[in-house]
Amino acid sequence: MQQGEEMADERRSSPTEDVRRLYEEAENRTALAFEDLVSRGSFGELLARTTENVVALTKIATDVFDLTLRNLRLAGRQDVTRLARQLARTEDKLELVLQEVERLADELEAEGRSGAGRPSRRGSADGLTGGAAPARSARGAR
Amino acid sequence: MNLVEQLSRAPAAAIEFANILLTQDDAKVGATPKDVVWTHRKTTLYRYRSDRRRHPVPVLLVFALINRPDIFDLRPGNSFVEFLLDQGFDVFLIDWGYPEEEDADFGLEEYICDELQWGIREVLRTSGEDQLTLLGWCIGGTLCLLYGGWLQDNPVRNMVLLTTPVDTTSSLYSTWVRRDSFDVEYVAAGYKAIPGQAIDWANKLMKPVTNYWTTYRRLWEGVLAGEPRRDAFQAMAHWVADNPPFPAAAYRDWITWMYKENRLVQGRLRLRRRRVDLGRIDQSLLIVTAGADHIAPPRGTRPLLDLVCSDDVTWIDRPGGHIGLMAGSKARSEIWPEIAQWLQERSQATREGRGSGNHRTE
Repeated sequence: MQQGEEMADERRSSPTEDVRRLYEEAENRTALAFEDLVSRGSFGELLARTTENVVALTKIATDVFDLTLRNLRLAGRQDVTRLARQLARTEDKLELVLQEVERLADELEAEGRSGAGRPSRRGSADGLTGGAAPARSARGAR
Repeated sequence: MNLVEQLSRAPAAAIEFANILLTQDDAKVGATPKDVVWTHRKTTLYRYRSDRRRHPVPVLLVFALINRPDIFDLRPGNSFVEFLLDQGFDVFLIDWGYPEEEDADFGLEEYICDELQWGIREVLRTSGEDQLTLLGWCIGGTLCLLYGGWLQDNPVRNMVLLTTPVDTTSSLYSTWVRRDSFDVEYVAAGYKAIPGQAIDWANKLMKPVTNYWTTYRRLWEGVLAGEPRRDAFQAMAHWVADNPPFPAAAYRDWITWMYKENRLVQGRLRLRRRRVDLGRIDQSLLIVTAGADHIAPPRGTRPLLDLVCSDDVTWIDRPGGHIGLMAGSKARSEIWPEIAQWLQERSQATREGRGSGNHRTE
């Protein structure tokens, strides 16, 4: 009886559904096969060599472009990068100075409060209330 | 739908399908209003606007160095940031930006000992609090761990680690890069900033059929059935395709320390000459892993349970993928409330001491 019902269910599935089911099975199997393929050591070896070749080709192409630009007395990528790096170094120093200034300002504020006999309190009222109002001025705005 | 109906719908579906793919870059991600708190080089610290802050301990979101942190705030209605704000948290986000060739010397030391540390300092100054919660995802989680293991007396009260790689022994990445023939120094010297697309390509190569075919096949079926889920697909596709470059030094450090030498779990990793000791981590710790995660599989995160000294460790393992677990359609009703509940219990104004929960849950 049960077998008969199962057969009836099978009969009810349309050809489109059958094709779809078979396709999905095939896709799943292909996906697993590819995942197995990429997890092999030999694929890792292939990937390592390919990466090295791509890096080498990119380096050669970049060097040629840069040399051409330099001979034309135009600023190349290296020049722009060098300038940007100088700016970054300056920003690093500025950040350290800002932090030191903030530390000193905090110390002064704390001393002022203890001198006035008021209880010490950091930041905004409780850090919980109200919108986006920061306890301290936003550094990004400087 | 029978074959004739499918064929009759196919031309319109093809146009819709193409339109979804061609306009995916226009999808708006990371739309929740936020303010810039601090910037340094390419790093920006944001604070999300809210008038519902109830929990005093601020939450700092830290994402990976690859891909953008917009995944925390993918789209309205499906945004983890939005959810945390609704729950009354004060949410900050550290965004690593788009590094360029001038940042080639930016290694993990700079990211952890400078950017993350300074970002934490600014979170505390801005919120007026003494402690915070670090919530890291993927490499961002590892950065949080490295910070916690590097600086003992840090202001981190809670640490939440989402699909975070720790022990990479059995990782597919290790199979690819651990071999001597993969010369990471050569790659880092050749590219001052490793192209984000190359990293993305390698990630997708781990599941080539799923990433390059099945995703689009499912979209096509949805379009053909008249249920394209355009917004969800476009937002995710936009995020996946937005790949910032990986600074050469950070790439070299990451591959060498984590995959070639697996230093973190062996206790051999040093930042600025100081050893990173995961045994120093005594904060309340929530570890979230995804059962079907092929990038940071649970077996690679689980060793962390034996390495930290915290008495309050909770481990949640749920079905899902590396990103899908937190950004999928079910995340809002399943994993986010669990995380928020865990955080609420540990974000009270007066601190009862680290590990106050005094339990380990697995």
